[in-house]
Amino acid sequence: MSRDMRRDFASREELVAYLQQEFPQAAQRSPHVSETRGGRRAAEARLRAARYGTEYERTRNHLDGQVSRLSPYIRYGVLGLNEVREYALSHAQRRFEAEKFVNELGWRDYFQRVYRELGDDIWEDVEDYKTGFPAHSYRQELPEDIRQGQTGVRFIDDAIRELIETGYLHNHQRMWLAAYVVHWRRVCWQAGARWFLEHLLDGDPASNNLSWQWVASTFSTKPYYYNLENVLQFSGDRYRGTPQNFGHEAFVGTYEQIARRLFPNITLSDEHHEPRKGRR
Amino acid sequence: MSESTIIWVHGDNLNPHSAPFQTAPDAPAIFVWDDALLEEWRISLKRIVFIYECLLELPIIIRRGDVAEEVVQFAREHEARRILTSESPSPRHQFLCQTIIKHMPKGSRLEVLREPAFVDGAEKVDLKRFSRYWNAVKKQAMR
Repeated sequence: MSRDMRRDFASREELVAYLQQEFPQAAQRSPHVSETRGGRRAAEARLRAARYGTEYERTRNHLDGQVSRLSPYIRYGVLGLNEVREYALSHAQRRFEAEKFVNELGWRDYFQRVYRELGDDIWEDVEDYKTGFPAHSYRQELPEDIRQGQTGVRFIDDAIRELIETGYLHNHQRMWLAAYVVHWRRVCWQAGARWFLEHLLDGDPASNNLSWQWVASTFSTKPYYYNLENVLQFSGDRYRGTPQNFGHEAFVGTYEQIARRLFPNITLSDEHHEPRKGRR
Repeated sequence: MSESTIIWVHGDNLNPHSAPFQTAPDAPAIFVWDDALLEEWRISLKRIVFIYECLLELPIIIRRGDVAEEVVQFAREHEARRILTSESPSPRHQFLCQTIIKHMPKGSRLEVLREPAFVDGAEKVDLKRFSRYWNAVKKQAMR
């Protein structure tokens, strides 16, 4: 006879204690619990608190910017994509000002559609790498120093700690971390994508894998990479100072210099050296 | 004649206003933790806590184990021949749907319900790059 799982909890602590007992392997692998609460009530509160207009568009690429953090609720369908869009359009000061936000919802819809077409092939390279390296030259396993957040690169280790402890990362941190794993450490995107899915509250194979593939260049026309200037521009004051003190030397240089170091087998055209603006 | 119905809720639609709940608001509903999947993907405790909190706000029974077996068993307990569930792009969901219906009594139905689409007609759009999709649907998305 099947046993129903409990539904009566006096507090979140009691719920967590119960789940630690029910899912001991998961708790052993990583004991952290996010401050982000699940459920429709929390989702609606977040929906009301978010900014959808020019303030969102202007600040969203900064780590301390006005991002909505609605993604975990959208991922599990707690909030439907359509209701979030309606809310955004009617709560921006002027409807058209919510376009950037609605565009982000469009990414979600797009990735879901691609997933429907690809099925399990979402784990395969959609296209070849455009980095000058064949797919087999990328390591299959995620190195332990990355898994532990002990790479010695401060902004990377900070992002890893955040991922593991909170289950959330700002989109820019996701891109920096993914590009670090694939291009600086030459690890296949699949290893990174699997690792993200262990931890991200909003982890879902569609958005996650296809974004990793976008960074890797197997689902885009060129690899995504960046330099220290880009990191400093979007992370406030936290990494100002001598790059050596933060282990940031490998990111110093122009886009052209970085590209020559990361992709010595190919020549990227001039436009490739232009920093990508914001997300994707 | 009323037909006994159950709802199978899964992780791609934990909305209390989802199509299955709208269609059969009084039907008994179940969510099953997929033990095999949790281990295969090494899902961390924080993700489990988040999902569990979502489940606690739904009028459902929560169980764990083999998803298909549990859903079939739940249908049997309620003498239901009709199962409602939400659509999902996941191949595993499609596999589970097939397994469930195979193990239900003859004449049973499993209905996969869709939510209204974000944009209509995008099936014809070339999905090779986001820009092509967005150019085709932007007007509609902003309506």
